[in-house]
Amino acid sequence: MDNTDLSTLGRKEVLEKSLTRYRKERDWFQMFLDALSMMPELSEEDILQQKMLTILLESKQTVLDCAENNKPFIAGYFCNAPEVFHAMDLPWYMLMETPFLAASAPYLADDIKGTEEIGLGSDLCTAIRLPIYYIETGQMPIPSAVLGLIYPCDGAPMLHQVMMHNKAWKDVPVYAADPPYTSDERAIDYFADELKRMAEFLQKHTGHSLDMKRLAQVCEDGNKTYSKWQEYNELRRAVPCPHGWSIGGPQAFAVSQCFVAGDPKCTDWFEQLVKCAEIRVNAGEGIPGVKERIRYFWFDIMPYGWIFELMPWLEEEWGAILTMDMFGNYPYTLIDTSSEEKIWKGLAKRNLIDAPMIRQARGTAENFSNDIRRIVKDYKIDCVIWPGHMGHKDGSAAGGIMRQTCRELDVPFLQIGLDLFDRAYTNPDEVKDKISKFFTSMGLG
Amino acid sequence: METNIKSKTLDEFKTITGTMINPAVQEWKDNGGKVIGYFCCNIPDEVMTAAGILPLRLRGTGSTGTELSDAFYSSINCSFPRHVFNMALNHEFDILDGLIVPNSCDHIRRIYDNWLRQLDIGFLEMFNLPRKVEEPQVQWYKDEVHLLVEKLEKQFGVEITEEKLKNAIKLHNENRRLLKQIYELRKVDNPPITGGQMIAVIVAGTAIPRDKYNEMLKELLEDLKGAEGIKDHRARLMVLGGILDDPEYMDILEDQGGLVVTDSICFGTRLFWTEVSEEGDPYEAIARYQIQQRPTCPRSYGDQPKRAQYLLDMIKEFKVDGVIGERLLFCDSWVVEHYMNDQDLKEAGVPFLKLDREYILSGKGQLRTRVQAFLEMLGGK
Repeated sequence: MDNTDLSTLGRKEVLEKSLTRYRKERDWFQMFLDALSMMPELSEEDILQQKMLTILLESKQTVLDCAENNKPFIAGYFCNAPEVFHAMDLPWYMLMETPFLAASAPYLADDIKGTEEIGLGSDLCTAIRLPIYYIETGQMPIPSAVLGLIYPCDGAPMLHQVMMHNKAWKDVPVYAADPPYTSDERAIDYFADELKRMAEFLQKHTGHSLDMKRLAQVCEDGNKTYSKWQEYNELRRAVPCPHGWSIGGPQAFAVSQCFVAGDPKCTDWFEQLVKCAEIRVNAGEGIPGVKERIRYFWFDIMPYGWIFELMPWLEEEWGAILTMDMFGNYPYTLIDTSSEEKIWKGLAKRNLIDAPMIRQARGTAENFSNDIRRIVKDYKIDCVIWPGHMGHKDGSAAGGIMRQTCRELDVPFLQIGLDLFDRAYTNPDEVKDKISKFFTSMGLG
Repeated sequence: METNIKSKTLDEFKTITGTMINPAVQEWKDNGGKVIGYFCCNIPDEVMTAAGILPLRLRGTGSTGTELSDAFYSSINCSFPRHVFNMALNHEFDILDGLIVPNSCDHIRRIYDNWLRQLDIGFLEMFNLPRKVEEPQVQWYKDEVHLLVEKLEKQFGVEITEEKLKNAIKLHNENRRLLKQIYELRKVDNPPITGGQMIAVIVAGTAIPRDKYNEMLKELLEDLKGAEGIKDHRARLMVLGGILDDPEYMDILEDQGGLVVTDSICFGTRLFWTEVSEEGDPYEAIARYQIQQRPTCPRSYGDQPKRAQYLLDMIKEFKVDGVIGERLLFCDSWVVEHYMNDQDLKEAGVPFLKLDREYILSGKGQLRTRVQAFLEMLGGK
């Protein structure tokens, strides 16, 4: 555990410490990109990865450049209307980035232990505990301003309250848009006003200004990206499914919302994604070397902390294909850019109602059951797996409702109980055992 | 902890708190009155009083298990809603004419969803709470109160005029003032009432008509004024945390020699330390009270510095020797809040003990041991 007393460090040392981990992560991805560049011939899927790594590295390098040269940059989230800060030409990084880096974050297990040692216990969502730990131990770049996230769970607002409480971060201005619980017109109007206040906050604290014509352009570029995403998801309906867990959903989400948003680079990546899927669908082929026997809907984030121990096994052992997941689902409404008011309302809707996890967990449980109904039908799903991540308490309290929905659809439902980031919470072998017993007892595969 | 107080009213408070559907609720119902259940401190119960409906804050008192609700909740959910929903599935809340659930936390808000699908109730409403504590949130809350009034009027055929709402505010403010007067008595070296007794008094106030409650509080105040103070305590404690409605929990802390003299809990000062303004627009007054004026819990985003100050002020005013931070297992709000409290109290030189617990009291031996060790540490201070 890193227990350096930050108050004993000078400003420059604090800065250096806060960038060490971020630089390591950049170097890790650079290594992958370099390896790809050295290959004599690239497949269409290699090109897809290359494009994604380029986007990711550009984002990381820009943030580092800002931090090292005292230029404004912010920390935020995917559901903070990233189109706004992209339109303001404001570099940003996602506060919860590290837990999602899978094999690129080999230190995750030690960090999780560290969260317990500093007094955060073991039942608080690991995705919340880790950023708190990074803030408290000075391992996260300190931005010029923060856009907080205070939904969809109880942990998120607490993370930001710790940030404001932390001595090294206390002078960093923080803004968080307040989320209504409902999803009606009143809620959208209210949230649109919150986003407008967010833009004012950013202008005030970063010196970057917002040109509404530029925001309209960014939204239109974003619309092109989202249209391509929709096209891609229609290809995933094919039997066999052209892609499994390793290509598609989470990357699509990352490219469209996490590293950049509303940029022709995103659309370019999605065009490549569609191209990759089309080749397989036109040939009537699924994932190479895998005979598709089970099409499952993984209703959450993937288990990034130990993804390589579970997801390939599902394909190899059971021919079980992740046909759709929470973050790959496409519910996005395109933004009407015909007036400023419509742009704000469109952004409000996208970030309050469309964005994954926010969409399901922020409001009433019908958001869970409606998604199950739609996805099971559209993607010819054989079973629904709710991983039951230890942090997703509202979702687990809706487990009975999800089970009932699946029963009505006559599709088997499995609730596991695990930690998506901490392999020690439920051992991967135990998870495999539960899944195997479920598949067997349901006559799947 | 020895207390010499002889008070029939206090005994009555204990009886009310010891059951969920107490005789006063039954009598209200037998006389044709309507009862609406609700959760948490942030529901404007004045509105129900103004409608002539009895607001009954739901608890899991008397629950013995979660065998029915476990089909809907999971093992990573807080035991409070699991017990409450189990009681509901056991038809122990069939007396209710309606239920209002706020989106106060990830566990409680799902009671709405599960109740909607599993139980039949005439009036089931989700009260949409904001997270922040700024002006737009006051306006949002105010609109929510207006919406609630409209729905209650339609469902129950009542008229909730501004005058009725103002009268309800006055009545509830009187509750608050009287409770605060009792707390004033706890500031002295030898307070006349224990923490266990106090919690019974406060819980009862959320389960009987508020005018009757005021009368009982006045009687209790008279009894307390003549009572001999408690002298045998080793340390003055403050309890800080969430839903704690069980006097026995406090009794265990106090049996070890600690005297609970104040708190910041959901059935404690956060309910009454400030008052709703009796001037101007009552909707605005209720909204401002709920969002900005009353002491908040960690779900109110951006209010942590104010909460920390409230804690320090309480410690000073009540001459607190040590703070006990209790938390229901799986509560993401309080685990982080206590993490910050720990740092703040360390800086202020105030000893702090963090205790996780289940809603229905268990592990009494372990609790005693930990409190005993804490008190010994305080003694050596």
